[in-house]
Amino acid sequence: MAFTPSKAKKNLEKEEGSLNMNAMMDMMTIILLFLLKSFSTEGALITPSENLRLPNSTSEEKAKKELMVSISQKEILVNDQPLMPINEQTVPKGQMLIPALAAKLAEYADQERELEIEVGKEFTHMVVIQGDYKISFEMMMKVMFTCAKSEFYKIRLLTIRVG
Amino acid sequence: MAYKPSMRTKSDSLEMELDIRPVMNLMVVLIPLLIVSAEWVKLSVLEINIPPSKNAGSGGDDNSQENKEKEKLLGLTIAITHDGITIANASTILSSDNEAEDGPGGPTVPKNPDGSYDYDVLITKLIDIKKKIVGKGFKDEDRAVITASADIEYQVIITVMDKIQMYEENNNILPLFPQINFGNVL
Repeated sequence: MAFTPSKAKKNLEKEEGSLNMNAMMDMMTIILLFLLKSFSTEGALITPSENLRLPNSTSEEKAKKELMVSISQKEILVNDQPLMPINEQTVPKGQMLIPALAAKLAEYADQERELEIEVGKEFTHMVVIQGDYKISFEMMMKVMFTCAKSEFYKIRLLTIRVG
Repeated sequence: MAYKPSMRTKSDSLEMELDIRPVMNLMVVLIPLLIVSAEWVKLSVLEINIPPSKNAGSGGDDNSQENKEKEKLLGLTIAITHDGITIANASTILSSDNEAEDGPGGPTVPKNPDGSYDYDVLITKLIDIKKKIVGKGFKDEDRAVITASADIEYQVIITVMDKIQMYEENNNILPLFPQINFGNVL
């Protein structure tokens, strides 16, 4: 024999509750405003890594996407492509020029110049250097010298803005 | 004859709830979108324009003395070593305030006792120099040459470059030495 449905349950009134959305809407509005404020159309300029931590500065000038030369503690990258490790062979002690980097940059310069002739994209001679905050002044000088030699003489040093 | 009392008082107050579901839908889409494209780390750049020709180098270091006098070049050099920071120009080296203690030949701005560089004193001295030379017709009154020992950390260089860009006086922001060149490694 089937159980008879419980009388109490049958007569239970359906409770209608309405969720109060006010607080949530407030929150959403604030989050939306905050995110709109930090909106950037530039996209990610840097790929953070353990060996490449940018130095801090208070400079206000905005970074632009240009040819990137990154100097981490272990290697040099051009446009995020690993180019060479940093050691005695690749970075000769007695000379300022870094041969492998110079060759790569010359390649890019040629490409840029070709683009300038064929499609009219201006060759800006600009290069953005991202250096780890621990690399030595000597290393930095060598890279800047190499860049300047390879026609990229407008150098921008990428830093993290503080304050 | 009195007017008939208004019927409006008896009408039910029209209570309507705002349908916020479309707004919520919008928020749910917009917030992830904005989170993805938000810039969490603000980046900035420091500008260095190296002259394209290879001989132009650093602020006239290789000019002869006669040329310097003709063109009135300042040739301010800031040298960073492990002992401190030295301010010099082509002919003289600025000595420390308490040279008697530190002995001659020491850096202009010795390091703090805890090993950090004393940027405040450096800035004070540079502002003094700037005030003395400004408007005297020096061609390179905005230029400073930074040079350092080979193994000085990059962050120190950046901090110095950062600090010598401009200074504030009476709520005016004035350029200090915004044109920066690099000299040879010491």
